[in-house]
Amino acid sequence: MLSLWVAFITGLTTGGLSCMAVQGGLLASSLASQIEKEVATSGTKTTQKSSPQIALPIVLFLAAKLVAYTLLGALLGALGSVLQMTPTMRAILQFLIAIFMIGNALRMLNVHPIFRYFSFEPPASVTRFIRNKAKNKTSLFTPIFLGALTILIPCGITQSMMAGAIATGKPLLGAALMFAFTLGTTPVFFVLSYFATKLGSLLEKQLVRVVAVVLLVLGLLSIDTGLNLLGSPYSLTKLMQTNTQPQVAEIRQAETQSDNVITLNVVNSGYQPNVLQAPSDTELTLNLITDNTNSCSRAFLIPELNISELLDQTGTKSVQIPAQPAGKKIAFTCSMGMYTGEIVFN
Amino acid sequence: MKLLLLEVKDMHCSNCAMKLQALEDDLPGVDTVDASYRSQKMKVVYDETIVTPAAIMDAVQKLGYTSEMVE
Repeated sequence: MLSLWVAFITGLTTGGLSCMAVQGGLLASSLASQIEKEVATSGTKTTQKSSPQIALPIVLFLAAKLVAYTLLGALLGALGSVLQMTPTMRAILQFLIAIFMIGNALRMLNVHPIFRYFSFEPPASVTRFIRNKAKNKTSLFTPIFLGALTILIPCGITQSMMAGAIATGKPLLGAALMFAFTLGTTPVFFVLSYFATKLGSLLEKQLVRVVAVVLLVLGLLSIDTGLNLLGSPYSLTKLMQTNTQPQVAEIRQAETQSDNVITLNVVNSGYQPNVLQAPSDTELTLNLITDNTNSCSRAFLIPELNISELLDQTGTKSVQIPAQPAGKKIAFTCSMGMYTGEIVFN
Repeated sequence: MKLLLLEVKDMHCSNCAMKLQALEDDLPGVDTVDASYRSQKMKVVYDETIVTPAAIMDAVQKLGYTSEMVE
């Protein structure tokens, strides 16, 4: 299980940026125009609005987002206690998210009119309703509504956190995890949306391009994650690993191959070695060693053999691997498809 | 009431469509606006005794978009 600190730091770093790419592009821009519109409709005198008044809708947006995601975390935690998502289910989810991200990126880059279908186009009656609510000065409904709505478009990293919340299997822990993560994303989100509001439409067009490129990259990463979860040898992560780090495995091979026991060190940054050499045609014991490991590498999967283990923070867990023919390669991965490796039988 | 069909080629997200739709509140004489980012078109139902098509297209331009009348 992910620690709350890891969730918070993830939010503060990559989470904030990738959330801004997905949710910022779709929702914070409507929030920005909402503010622009308020400024415009309230006359020229108020164009000199002080910063706190522009900041208020953003704060409300973020607060609503925080509450919505915390509730979602609780719900996912509860769901996790009854339903366990299989790696294949998660892989399919990753592919769907990738299609959504790449489609949106191509839409933003204006590649073909067909990609416009990736954009949410609320019916006129809905936008009329939101507008009427927003017109009421005392009502701060719109930013709150939009903030809560972000749960419908979680970014790739948020989605991984949601998977983490399911994995907790407890409503309270799920809620705490999503709270910590969303809180972490808040500073980046605030700063970026605050300045996006001030940039104006000229720079906004450039920002759209940047966001589109980021989305494209995240979409490809999402496909990669999906491939890892399916245990595919053709994921980018896997191809890069086999080209860069085969030596590590050779050294380890000598000390681990005896007694049909192979050892894998599960560390915060993944698995060491990431290519394990193993004897073929014999049953093996795979020892998974954790030592103060806090990252998602602790949720260990071998998709092909249907092995799924949630390791303790510190300890050793043994997994039985049935006999495999020589030349066979079996992929292992963390439950989020971020860290990967393989066992090579020969 | 009359119907005006405009093509607005520079809508780059559904948010633009929402901006254009707000003309129903902001431009007197405009009854309803149905703008779509997907089709890059907007349908305007307006009161011809209060507002002209030219004035509507002018308002669209003030919002930062260019429109063309569709026959």
